[in-house]
Amino acid sequence: MRLGGIDTTSVLGYAWPPVVEPGGRVAFHLSSATLKQVDLSLVRVRCGDPDAAGPGLKAVPIASAIDGKRAVRHQPLRPGSCAVIADRPVLRGIDSFSVGAFIWPTLPGVAAQTILARWRDGAGWRFGLDAGGHLELAICDGKAVVVARTSQPALGREWLFVCGSYDARTGTLSVRQVSLDPQAGRDRTASGTASAAPGLRWIADAPLMIAAQAIGEANFDGKIDRPRLCRGAIDAAAMRALCEAINPPAGDADLIAAWDFSIDIPGQTVRDRSANRLHGELVQIPARGVTGANWDGTANDWRALPAHYGAIHFCSDDMQDAGWSPDFTLDIPADLRGGYYALRMTAQPADGDPVDSYVGFFVRTPRTAPKAKLAIIVPLATYLAYANGALRMDQVHAESMLEGLLVLSRDDLYLQVHREVGLSTYDTHADGSGWRVSSAKRPILNMRPRCNTFNYGNDTHLIDWLEEKGIDYDVVSDEDLHRDGLAALSPYRCVMTLSHPEYYSREMWDAIDAYQRSGGRHMYLGGNGFYWRIAFHRDLPGVIEVRRDVTGVRTWEGEAGEAHLAFTGESAGLWRSNGRAPQRLVGVGFDAQVFDRSAGYRRMPDGENPRVAWMFAGIAPGEMIGDFGARNGGAAGLEIDRADPELGSPPAMLLVASADRIGYGGMPAPEEFRTFHRGLDGEQNARVRADLVYFPTAKGGGVFSTGSIAWVTALSHNRYDNNVSRLMENVVKRFIDPAPLD
Amino acid sequence: MLNNAPDAAHYPVDPTRSDLVEEFRRSPKGPHSRELQMLLHRMRWESPGGRYVLYAVEPGKRWMLGKLPGKCNAPVELMHNRVYDSPAAAEWDVFKLRWEALTGQALTEPAIGN
Repeated sequence: MRLGGIDTTSVLGYAWPPVVEPGGRVAFHLSSATLKQVDLSLVRVRCGDPDAAGPGLKAVPIASAIDGKRAVRHQPLRPGSCAVIADRPVLRGIDSFSVGAFIWPTLPGVAAQTILARWRDGAGWRFGLDAGGHLELAICDGKAVVVARTSQPALGREWLFVCGSYDARTGTLSVRQVSLDPQAGRDRTASGTASAAPGLRWIADAPLMIAAQAIGEANFDGKIDRPRLCRGAIDAAAMRALCEAINPPAGDADLIAAWDFSIDIPGQTVRDRSANRLHGELVQIPARGVTGANWDGTANDWRALPAHYGAIHFCSDDMQDAGWSPDFTLDIPADLRGGYYALRMTAQPADGDPVDSYVGFFVRTPRTAPKAKLAIIVPLATYLAYANGALRMDQVHAESMLEGLLVLSRDDLYLQVHREVGLSTYDTHADGSGWRVSSAKRPILNMRPRCNTFNYGNDTHLIDWLEEKGIDYDVVSDEDLHRDGLAALSPYRCVMTLSHPEYYSREMWDAIDAYQRSGGRHMYLGGNGFYWRIAFHRDLPGVIEVRRDVTGVRTWEGEAGEAHLAFTGESAGLWRSNGRAPQRLVGVGFDAQVFDRSAGYRRMPDGENPRVAWMFAGIAPGEMIGDFGARNGGAAGLEIDRADPELGSPPAMLLVASADRIGYGGMPAPEEFRTFHRGLDGEQNARVRADLVYFPTAKGGGVFSTGSIAWVTALSHNRYDNNVSRLMENVVKRFIDPAPLD
Repeated sequence: MLNNAPDAAHYPVDPTRSDLVEEFRRSPKGPHSRELQMLLHRMRWESPGGRYVLYAVEPGKRWMLGKLPGKCNAPVELMHNRVYDSPAAAEWDVFKLRWEALTGQALTEPAIGN
């Protein structure tokens, strides 16, 4: 399509694994709906941000075995989470049957949705909601579909007990729904019947599906709790009793399946408590550890009372594994330097704009062969949390926040019409619930060169600066930090966290903390870092979970009782609410967003302290630091952090500079004020500021924090000849010097 | 659920305040007076006449006006006849469109730079 500019989306893909060691192998999974062939090359990403205000796009070609032309094909995406229970003989030998469950539909009345089905090629049975939101049980012998349906459509976000049965003796098909809260106009209790042929036999070789008719077909939106399947046509009261029971008698020979979703909530298997053990596998990682129909607020942590967390929240747009076949692999040469890399795909279609699309991936330094004294930590968790964000197009706040028109990229134009790639943890599903999980097994448009500038693009300004200054660095990723702990950092004298290390698991936090306590030096070069508490998945690499609750800058708010991570059971939300304000770790913590203009830092009295004279070598005492930069003209901006002894900033800390004159576009985070009042914005509120701090840690270690996302985007100003760059060089030089810090 | 309601911005627009129009024309990026801040918030939050956006044809160099469709899975409407070489020119163009949508009065002030 010809829109003007560069086409970054006509071919897309993902690399697996997203982080690879030299000597390892990475597979590329590509798809194009329009191109037949692309030119491929491997690039080392020095700067992924094409904005002329910064260093500009710098993708350095690296000769490799994948260079050249290659055919590409279209590989579709089939979003929608569900559970698949493999076909078993017991499922074929049923004559009469009954189904039941509690449901909490979140998008009734939009399309047909499935609660439970065994359906293939237009035959079988399907229990669900019709396109109008009415409960229905449909059966088909391959010829005529017969449907029993209730007269009342389900209400969104209200619990219903639902059941249905087929009596093979009479051919009677019946359904019934009962509102659990029937008062004040909410009652949707209703029944329906239909007559079908008696004695129908069921299809063979079809899986039993929960929350979908088949993969990607008639998916359910909302929660399903305690689904049951029985032999015989039992009445609603008997089925209700089976559904109410957490653990129905497994010796009941008529009980075919009784799933209990509260068993092993972190896992991807759903367990059947019946004697048939009809366990199933989850597809596309739906939300577990969510409140069931019986949840009453007794517990807010599913670990404390799992029986109240027997539901799964399925979404028809869940997408965590594209499932694309690999097109080719690349063996990473043993001598390839760690860094940001990408597969570059170009084409020149006759009827469209030039294609220049990338698949981003990372090469980490071999665990067994660290080379440099300095390492950067690739914030994979943050990239995943923001993967394919479409929020600013869906909600109206962006323009007010930016104090200017929203500027869309080619990627945004694509995302607006291709939600099937799966969105970010900032977005809401079609049913209004928040995206809680994000995976790297799908195209991530904003983790590659030319993408929107936030995070990845900004971080590559630092890469560019390190390369420009000839500073050697090794590379580790968030997931290394999570899985290997301190061992990932201990080879290094100094580590850098980049412009926005916002998402941290406990394991990651502990690794940084232990590193700092063991003499390590940490340069935190961003803002809004160490903010949300997350988890990586126990079994699935490259998958994180985020839960947002009632505080923090949250673009959605989770349901009551759902603030504990399904992956681990840990309390989610802000680290600050979990007893670990970032100030304790790095001296500063998030205080405000300021997206309209950035500021410079002025030297504070601590900045004259002889203990930090090395930091300001070559910088005059009265000089404003970073009153320039590629993001809104300053090094202090976008998201900023402040020091606060009450939140844990250490007594030994020196507040060396502060950007404390932020304009009215600086708005404090919700956790930064008690009650609403005038004067909260940065023009009037001194707590809306970015602080530059330093403190020594145990065993000669130290921490340097800049408290601003925009910091790294000032490095290339004036051809790298500026005081942000100078100060950074001073700190790097001192931090890799083994002499103890004080 | 937390959502941003477009109709939540209700600061009344005074069609006689040509001084605010001139203040914006002279300095689209601000900083702005308190009253202009409130007028702009109304314009940006409600976005009368459609949710205007820019498409960066060439990042940092050339921008095209567009309109979000108001629902996902529908394309951004791009206006190929409205292409700008500065964000300020685009801001002024959109300001005029919104002013007219809110007041019924077309602005005749010269373009940015005149």
